[in-house]
Amino acid sequence: MTKCPACLIGFARGDYSTLAQHLTERAGESDPDHVRWLNQNLTRRKTEAGALTPALVAFFDLGQASLSTWVKKRFIAKFFGKAPHPFVVALQHPTRATLLGYVFEHQYFLRQWVRSCGFILARTDRPEVVHYELDNLNTEYGGSGPDRPSHYELLLRMGESLGVDRSTVLSTPPLPTTQRAIEQWNEMATREHWVAVLTAMHSLELIANRNLVDEGASIRYFDPGILSGSEITPAAQGFLREGYEADVGHSDEALALANRYAGEHDVVEEAQAVFLRSIDLFDDYLIARLERASEFEA
Amino acid sequence: MKRNYDGCAICNSTWGNVWAEIGEERLFFCCDLCVVQYRELWERVNREVGWDRVDSIDIAGDRRGRTCEVASGDRRARFVFAFNSVGKLLRFQRAELPSSAGG
Repeated sequence: MTKCPACLIGFARGDYSTLAQHLTERAGESDPDHVRWLNQNLTRRKTEAGALTPALVAFFDLGQASLSTWVKKRFIAKFFGKAPHPFVVALQHPTRATLLGYVFEHQYFLRQWVRSCGFILARTDRPEVVHYELDNLNTEYGGSGPDRPSHYELLLRMGESLGVDRSTVLSTPPLPTTQRAIEQWNEMATREHWVAVLTAMHSLELIANRNLVDEGASIRYFDPGILSGSEITPAAQGFLREGYEADVGHSDEALALANRYAGEHDVVEEAQAVFLRSIDLFDDYLIARLERASEFEA
Repeated sequence: MKRNYDGCAICNSTWGNVWAEIGEERLFFCCDLCVVQYRELWERVNREVGWDRVDSIDIAGDRRGRTCEVASGDRRARFVFAFNSVGKLLRFQRAELPSSAGG
């Protein structure tokens, strides 16, 4: 099934003509999500649906590439292109404010993460996907005993090392942008095919995949030099190092699963559209981290 | 007022069909979010420059960061800015004018 990448409404498989009609109609009504998608992905110039259709076909065409290659290409273009995402720029050598923005908003991302992955677990019948998700959830949220705290615990420790106790972090509500993003990720997880959710969520772990520079990314998530020395606190180093080491495997393994099962379940188009919606939400969510950071700037 | 964009006053997109009166002008926007953004920008720029009128506004860049150059008579000012996802200014700083733009 073809889906609108802005609102996830479905159309017949391969029916990019009706998708083009839908996009032009919703953009004509000035819907921000549809206008934004067209502006950022196809064209800023108002175009008739008939002329938009071939552009959509070309945009979604995998060609000889796999789904994971297409996903990585789109992800790199959005977050690590000529103008990398402003949060990535800020994280190269982060201030205390930037890291606190990360702490306050990311707790909500991780809480939603568990729910999204929970829906994948509940719906898949593939043992290797179950094992993958269990391992991922332990790394991100559950932890594996005192010697291997979860990413969530390391996040809270980073906040404490920056002078903010965890009760303050945990009792601070998310910014509206973060709230909107997690609500939409939750809705996505409840409604979409598990392979599409797997693609849409685990592709987000590409953000910390240090190997993307070999595939065209202009910079890494942060300058790895900050993992040594005293530029940031040891707890911040601990938090960032965890993602730096885990997310190459997390994202690559998940995208390999996506390749295999999107084809098997015939949901490649769904996976593409849900992924595109997810990275738009992620883009906004990363801006929310900066917005929160601005509260801590001198 | 002179402006460099023929589409949406903030992003130059020609999608959408929203009109809003800002700074005594009826302007075209692609969506309501851009209206919020332009209103924010317009108010902030006017507060910064304190001129009694603005003759021209030139905007460049994209969502990752934009520049805005305003003029009133022979006075000029340039700013860099970016918005958050609900259209509020996340960053706004006065910037140096290109040498060709004069004082």
